[in-house]
Amino acid sequence: MLIAYTVAARLLQYPTLLSEYSGRDLILSALIDFAVQTVVIWAVAYLCSRTDKTFFGLLEGALGRVAARIIIGLFGAFFILASFVPLYEQKLYVHATFYDTVPSLYVFLPIIFFTIYAGAKSFTNIGRSADICAVIFALSFIFILAMSLSEVDFTNLLPIAKTGAGAIFGGALKSAYRFVEPAYLLMFMGRFEYKKGDAAKITLSYAFGALIVMAFLAIFYGIYADIAPSRQFAISKTSLYFSAIDMIGRVDLIALYALEIVMLFAIVLNLQLAVNCIEECLNIRGAEWLSLAVTAALTATILIFNNHFNNISNFFADWMWIVTVVFATLLPLCAHALPRRKNEN
Amino acid sequence: MRIKRYSFVIFWLLIIALSALYFTNDFGLVDIHKTAIIAAVGVDVEGEEVQVTAQLAVPKPSQSGENVEYTEVQGSGETIADALNEINAKTGFYPKLQFCKLILLGDSCQKRNIFQVLGCFYRKNYSELTALVAMCKGKASEMLSMPVPTSDMNSTAIQRVLAEELKKSANVSSVSLKDIAVDNFSKSAAVYMPYVEANKQGTSAAGGDGDNVGGEPPQGSQGGSQGESGSQGGGSGESGGGSGGGESGGSGGSGSSGGGGSGGSGGSGESGGGSGGGSSDNAGQSPVEFTARKTAIFSGGEFRGILDERQSFALDLIKNDIRLAVLPCDAGGLHYTLGLKGLGGGSKIKIEDGKPRLTLKFSANAQIAGVKKVVDPDETASDDVLSPEVIEGAKREIEGRFQSLIEVCREKNCDLLGVKNMIFKFDNKNFDEFADSVLGEMKVQYKIDIKSAN
Repeated sequence: MLIAYTVAARLLQYPTLLSEYSGRDLILSALIDFAVQTVVIWAVAYLCSRTDKTFFGLLEGALGRVAARIIIGLFGAFFILASFVPLYEQKLYVHATFYDTVPSLYVFLPIIFFTIYAGAKSFTNIGRSADICAVIFALSFIFILAMSLSEVDFTNLLPIAKTGAGAIFGGALKSAYRFVEPAYLLMFMGRFEYKKGDAAKITLSYAFGALIVMAFLAIFYGIYADIAPSRQFAISKTSLYFSAIDMIGRVDLIALYALEIVMLFAIVLNLQLAVNCIEECLNIRGAEWLSLAVTAALTATILIFNNHFNNISNFFADWMWIVTVVFATLLPLCAHALPRRKNEN
Repeated sequence: MRIKRYSFVIFWLLIIALSALYFTNDFGLVDIHKTAIIAAVGVDVEGEEVQVTAQLAVPKPSQSGENVEYTEVQGSGETIADALNEINAKTGFYPKLQFCKLILLGDSCQKRNIFQVLGCFYRKNYSELTALVAMCKGKASEMLSMPVPTSDMNSTAIQRVLAEELKKSANVSSVSLKDIAVDNFSKSAAVYMPYVEANKQGTSAAGGDGDNVGGEPPQGSQGGSQGESGSQGGGSGESGGGSGGGESGGSGGSGSSGGGGSGGSGGSGESGGGSGGGSSDNAGQSPVEFTARKTAIFSGGEFRGILDERQSFALDLIKNDIRLAVLPCDAGGLHYTLGLKGLGGGSKIKIEDGKPRLTLKFSANAQIAGVKKVVDPDETASDDVLSPEVIEGAKREIEGRFQSLIEVCREKNCDLLGVKNMIFKFDNKNFDEFADSVLGEMKVQYKIDIKSAN
């Protein structure tokens, strides 16, 4: 799951914006973020091996029911926030890539319906859909990569580390809000049967996903060099120069449609977790209605800020990293301090 | 519980709703008979305005199989976007340019920075940057309305001379919108693109050992601005003198003769007449053929000149992945035409003893394609193996073309070989010192290795 979703969540605007922030050193910025998150992922996975409690259970045991509900509710809000920019990007991507004319807002309706439906599904469904997505992702992503490689000039990434520390670390910080995977793992804690070696497998899966993302960043920048910041929705731009496309048309769109499925499940994961957190916070059952409410709120916000994606994106880049660092880095690490029941020694 | 009871109904309602949205393009259906797809655009500069001529493919209901008509529609404005908006108003189709395969710049665009002219195409998601870009002799609007014998739509014929296969045989320096932007915004800031010329069908240019591809200028067209183009051609002829004055003079000569034909300016009024130009306007014109063996060059977006066929060949050998090329050369008092296969090479710059040294490498396997002498079957069987004399002649020819290209780069201060970019990438600590002076200061070493293919 981690490999497919880690990559799928970073194929649209992440490469474009990172090439704007960090230029040809975009891989170094990504490396910083991924390195930090890999350590946190390992820490959370290790914690999973030390307890059979859920995160809510750990919080409840240590801080009491009220505090646990507040914290889990805040996590719910965090997941909603984390899904906002990716969902907005999806809207723009679908409009720009799959339509030749100017599409109406209704074009996005099927995705909204899907989000409501999938957002109400349980943890068991997350695992099942991820298993299916992994196969779809592997086939379609390899297809796109194969079509992209002939146009890549990797020397466009040279010289390395010459854009300056400000650009490299600034880029890492501005894109940090897209790195929420440790928070996912925190929510899965106690909900799957931990087997020996799982922590290493989880961490390596994430690291492998990170390598794929960095390879894709290199391909994207290798093709577009200094004009990369103007090329929106990176995954739809790398395969355009495959020579057969001139003769047989945009066959890459088949793979892009398939990847779209995986990208949607990656976004919906945020909403599934948000719904679950809100249920635990309010101690209610009614995932269908909560999913409907959350999706409606997100859609309404997207419509309110329609045509202001750049402002939204800049706002998230400037401020959302603080929230992400708290919920996806500090709190997962702090969870180690909570008293555990299993293998306490 | 209530949700569960109705979930089956809700599920099928959703499936029906989603299917309806999907199969109706979310109710954004476009009536194919009321649309026009822009297949190519020509851009000319007229005073302060740009004039955009769009070649449209108009789908038509037909029983005979001929179900597409082609026509030209023109718009003008301060920017290309203005002009496209006018075209949109005339055609009723939002021109997103997703199907535009060719952008042809008239030589009037030489007066402006090309990235001011083309800027609109680089706006976010306006165009996919896959369209081929070329400059043409005369007005782009006229060139797009010339009748061609090989295709209903002459932009297809132009694309044919810019094709990938021709690029792989060093016959054209084809580039896309993406290529020119990547080159322009690199440290070298030098851009090249094919220079398309139209010739009267069934004529050819004399001399040049097959390199002077072209022919007589078409009747009553390419008048207005051809004088400028002719002078550019002359310029390139002079700069190419190093590799053989007679040959380069040929390209200069063709330019000046073009300049002489200024009487045909009436042609511009024809295509400037708005929509529906197309094939009916071409009735009086004789068919033309296109060639694109010359190359227009730019530095910092500003036009710098036109490379002749030999300089363009040298540039292609360095910049492109060439699979097969034809090289005319002289040896032992005979003229040979060699076929080159297994081509390899590239360029490398090194700072040695405080001086930049550029190494141009080229290797190929050659075989004789033709010799200017009477064929003797007894000899033909054995002359497949190239004599050292012929190999030396081929090396001289290649080196001469490289030298000619480098002279133009120096003279026009146009870093077509990407030398500054190479220093920036591979020897970054020396970049600041040599960025401005490298073209003039560098020594050039040629490593040319041609072997007999048999």
